[in-house]
Amino acid sequence: MADSADRYDRRAFLARGAAGAAALGLAGVGLPALLEGCGSSTPSKPRLSSSTPGVSTATPRRGGSITVGLNSEIDGFLPSASHFDNSGLTYANTIFDTLTVVAADGSAKPYLAQSVTPNPDMTVWTITLRPGVTFHDGSPLNADVLKANFDALQSSPLTGPALNGVVASFQKVSDLAMAVHCVEPIVAFPHYLSTQLGYVIGMAQLQSASSTKPIGTGPFSLETWVPNDHFTAKRNPHYWRSGFPYLDSVTYKPIAIDESRENSLTSRTIDMMVSHDPNAIKALRANASFQQVLNPSVGQGDMDFIILNTETEPTNDLMVRQALAYATNVDELVKLFGAGVAKPNLSLFPPGSPYRADDNGYPAYDLAKAKQLVAQAAPNHGGKIELALATVTDPRLLNEIQALASMWGLAGIQTTVSTVEQVTFIDNLVTGKFQAYTDEQFGASDPDLNYVWMSPTTANGVIALNFSRNKDDALEAALQKGRTMSDPADRIQAYQEVDRRLSADLPYLWASLATWSLTGSNAVMNFNNLTLPDGSHARGFADGVYDPTSTWRVS
Amino acid sequence: MAELPSQASLESESFASLSGHGLRVQGLAAGLPASGILSKKKGLGVTFWVCTAWVALMILLAVLASVLPLKAPNFQDYSSVNVGPTARHILGTDDLGRDLLSRVIFGSRVSLVIGFVPIVLGLIVGGSLGLLAGYRAGPVDTVLNAVSFVLIAFPALLAVMVIEAFWKPVVLWKLTLMFAFVSAPLLFRVIRASTLSFASREFVVAARATGAKTSRILLRELLPNIVPAAVSFALIGVALLIVLEGSLAFLGLSIGLPTSSLGNIINDGVNSNNLQLNPYIALWPSLYIFLLLTALNLMADRLRSYFDLREVKL
Amino acid sequence: MLRFVANRLLQLVVICFLISIFAFLLVHLLPGDPAKTILGPNDTPANHAILLKQLGLNKGLVSQYATWIINIFHGNLGASFLTKESVTTSLGVAVPIDLELVIVSQVLALIVAIPMALLAALRPNRAFDRIATTSTFGMLSLPTFVAGPLLVLLFAVTLKWVPATGFVRLSQGFGANLKSVILPSVALAIGSVTVYYRLLRADLIATLQEDFVTMARSKGLSTRYILVRHVMRPSSFSLLAGAGITIGTLFTGAFVVEILFQLPGIGYQLVSAIYANDYLVVQGMALVAAVAFVVVNFAIDFLLTVLDPRVRRG
Repeated sequence: MADSADRYDRRAFLARGAAGAAALGLAGVGLPALLEGCGSSTPSKPRLSSSTPGVSTATPRRGGSITVGLNSEIDGFLPSASHFDNSGLTYANTIFDTLTVVAADGSAKPYLAQSVTPNPDMTVWTITLRPGVTFHDGSPLNADVLKANFDALQSSPLTGPALNGVVASFQKVSDLAMAVHCVEPIVAFPHYLSTQLGYVIGMAQLQSASSTKPIGTGPFSLETWVPNDHFTAKRNPHYWRSGFPYLDSVTYKPIAIDESRENSLTSRTIDMMVSHDPNAIKALRANASFQQVLNPSVGQGDMDFIILNTETEPTNDLMVRQALAYATNVDELVKLFGAGVAKPNLSLFPPGSPYRADDNGYPAYDLAKAKQLVAQAAPNHGGKIELALATVTDPRLLNEIQALASMWGLAGIQTTVSTVEQVTFIDNLVTGKFQAYTDEQFGASDPDLNYVWMSPTTANGVIALNFSRNKDDALEAALQKGRTMSDPADRIQAYQEVDRRLSADLPYLWASLATWSLTGSNAVMNFNNLTLPDGSHARGFADGVYDPTSTWRVS
Repeated sequence: MAELPSQASLESESFASLSGHGLRVQGLAAGLPASGILSKKKGLGVTFWVCTAWVALMILLAVLASVLPLKAPNFQDYSSVNVGPTARHILGTDDLGRDLLSRVIFGSRVSLVIGFVPIVLGLIVGGSLGLLAGYRAGPVDTVLNAVSFVLIAFPALLAVMVIEAFWKPVVLWKLTLMFAFVSAPLLFRVIRASTLSFASREFVVAARATGAKTSRILLRELLPNIVPAAVSFALIGVALLIVLEGSLAFLGLSIGLPTSSLGNIINDGVNSNNLQLNPYIALWPSLYIFLLLTALNLMADRLRSYFDLREVKL
Repeated sequence: MLRFVANRLLQLVVICFLISIFAFLLVHLLPGDPAKTILGPNDTPANHAILLKQLGLNKGLVSQYATWIINIFHGNLGASFLTKESVTTSLGVAVPIDLELVIVSQVLALIVAIPMALLAALRPNRAFDRIATTSTFGMLSLPTFVAGPLLVLLFAVTLKWVPATGFVRLSQGFGANLKSVILPSVALAIGSVTVYYRLLRADLIATLQEDFVTMARSKGLSTRYILVRHVMRPSSFSLLAGAGITIGTLFTGAFVVEILFQLPGIGYQLVSAIYANDYLVVQGMALVAAVAFVVVNFAIDFLLTVLDPRVRRG
């Protein structure tokens, strides 16, 4: 179960709940809750030299505080009840800990858990917690609390369905251990524990079901939260990782408008900013007063794409979907809106990923072919193919869909554009009341985290988590193989097959990788270099999610 | 010397009592030293005619937009993105390669309608009610006054958002109606206040005393005196509405794209770093609005001073 | 006098009551409901029904309205369905922001408009008057969503004199607080200057033609002295009335500036809550904004009555 967390669009003052899409490409809506690979790093060997942005080998300094500008506000701190988009996960990383964290080499390492071990057939995973860890209110971390956490997730209408797709049952095994029985062998289970599923909340907060007073084990504890204004957390003096965090406090300021956030950084109103606005990224990339970190994350980064509804007219016709793909000049689109920062990517996986099939068969831009297909398909749709393309109220996205509508129009597909407000947007995705929407999803440290969003098994019913509702048996078979087989070579083969099936079935029209960036002034050090308990390293920033544990500042 | 101020203030009180309450725009013709240059015989002046011609041109362009040799306003030419003014694109292009001259002219259609029609409608409805209410005090006036007050007090933003939420898609006539609904109460109050200030004047009392019908009094005595204030306010109203449409575009609540309106072009021009990348996008529609409003304002002021004996004497 | 005040207060209460009904109804007309927002992708009919019951939204409209009003009298405006933050707390954050924006922007506008109007009224239709009138009208065509970014680019990003976003509370230092509101206030003031200038200028010119002014002049008082001592007071009625409406609508009307500068005032929170179908927050914010409008205008009305007893009926 993974999914790109909710995204807020530039109108993210629509703070509550729904996410927005944003940034370049065809950002779309992510979904509430659920899992994002966090704290991951690039597959290539990370060189921890001081010339790497966000990475410092100097001696850490204690003390000080930083202010980070985020792209959205959240509605609360209770994983089972609140919508966690990338900002939500950032807040969560500050106050809570996850059971595992994904390291630079792509493996999910135990973090709050001491170990996460499977039985021989990978159907039962035992999570053993670290001893002696206390929450901010002094209560102990133990298996009772962990079980209570899972209970809450399971009984919540928000997270229940997603959890039940992975977990069948769970029970306490000893004081510090809990056994989780999965619905089938799930090789990538530890990765799930690095996502929203893996945050461990204090018993008191669970019992009061409070979404405003978080109690976690994390490096900082909440001091004040004024929604839409600021969130300040101060250092946890009893943090189980001795020596961390370095900072005395962290303040997050949600600043909805991209330009306002960028101006806040350049005018030194804030120290760091999260952004996926390619123009802001480009402007600051060359600026020597700032260090910038740009995705990709380990595994897959969020993709910007158009999601097509394979169950309604006219996109239920494969020929029409093919025509749309051939009619989309992705290079031009990315050139227009990517500010030279985004790059076209016609695959579910980023370049360099082993799961990426070089010959995935995705249709390249070919207007003549598109016209031909439209001419062929038109008779089956009453002689004319008309399509409604919509996005959330984000000016950049609005411009992009106007460009797309124009491109598709050239092929003979009459496209009308419109904006849909956030909450309705998600609702429409979920209930299938759309034809073509912009979307931003699929960032994950392991491909299996995306199972629930792509599988035909979740494409039925009034509410379907597989929004495009494509039912491709070959795809399901490949997804299953990737989920249950433990041999890496088998998984590579399986997911390459997934990539090929997606290109053949075309529920998604790929555009580019989402351009998440974290830019900090030169006073902020080491913000992209999380040190794990075993000494290995992980990224401090991935897919819009930041972890402040290993950051320090100089004056 | 010390006495003079108090004497003058006493007199100011008594003389002030002669003018009405509410919006006092007209006073008695006073015998102030005539330093004025203008007189009726001289005509309306060059400035006036230049402005009129300009406004007429703008309206003409808007009306004839579809038959003029303009490039298609929605056509995206990716080879000329964010191009400055050239021979091919007189005002340049925007970030999707669309010709700005054509977008501004087509956009002016929307903005001119959005600016003027609601005010006209508001004057007709709100204005006539205001005249009536101001002249005839009593229960009708109290009720109308209260209703208008509630309508103005209520956040228009909420009303617009709710209405738009289930009256999709947003097209020109719907926006016009909504704006008319928002302007009418304000115009009602302005006209009513102006009417109130004249209704107790001697010439109105006199007319009534000589048995004139209400309609005659309203049309012949009151209306001509109210027109200057009404026009002045109406002009500001037009300006505010044109800009209000832009604010709605800011929230994505204005006319549906890709139809251009001056408001949403300007909005486009200040988003996505366009202000730095291509300031022309925001510049041309802003300039258009500025010139239009200035011309209208100069015209209205000139007309007023032409027909207003009092100001002519200054 | 007392009867007049009592009468006014009664009117105030009735109007606020009407506004509360209006706000409640409008918000419930929005398509969707908070349950949809909260549940997101898990919005099954079953879950929806359960959540609605939990939120108390399954009862009839009248019942819900009654509960809301009764709670208000107990000082409980409800809470956000999503963040669970009480509306009173949200208002506690929003109202200081809006108060400051209103005060600073209107003071700025008046500081500019009053002297300009005085100078213009002294020599109407001359060079200064012409330029002033034209330029203030031009200011109307500079909307806040253009002025805002321009101001930020200059003063925050380039000069680094003030922050680009965020509100610093008064308790954290007067200087820092002022710096955080100055740019948005300037953006807001630009539009108000025009209105104040025109209203005041018109009234001043009218008053200057009154007989008592001629008398004062004939007594040898300088025009400047007359202007400030005797003419300003009777000429400020329209200005005050205009200020009432401007200030009153600014509480929600400043939403563009609030969003651009990330100031979670009433406008910002209202829009946010409307999008999330967060009923109680919308109702609470709308009601407070409308009541603020009513109170401000009633206060100004009262002020006008004190200044000019004839205004009773208006």
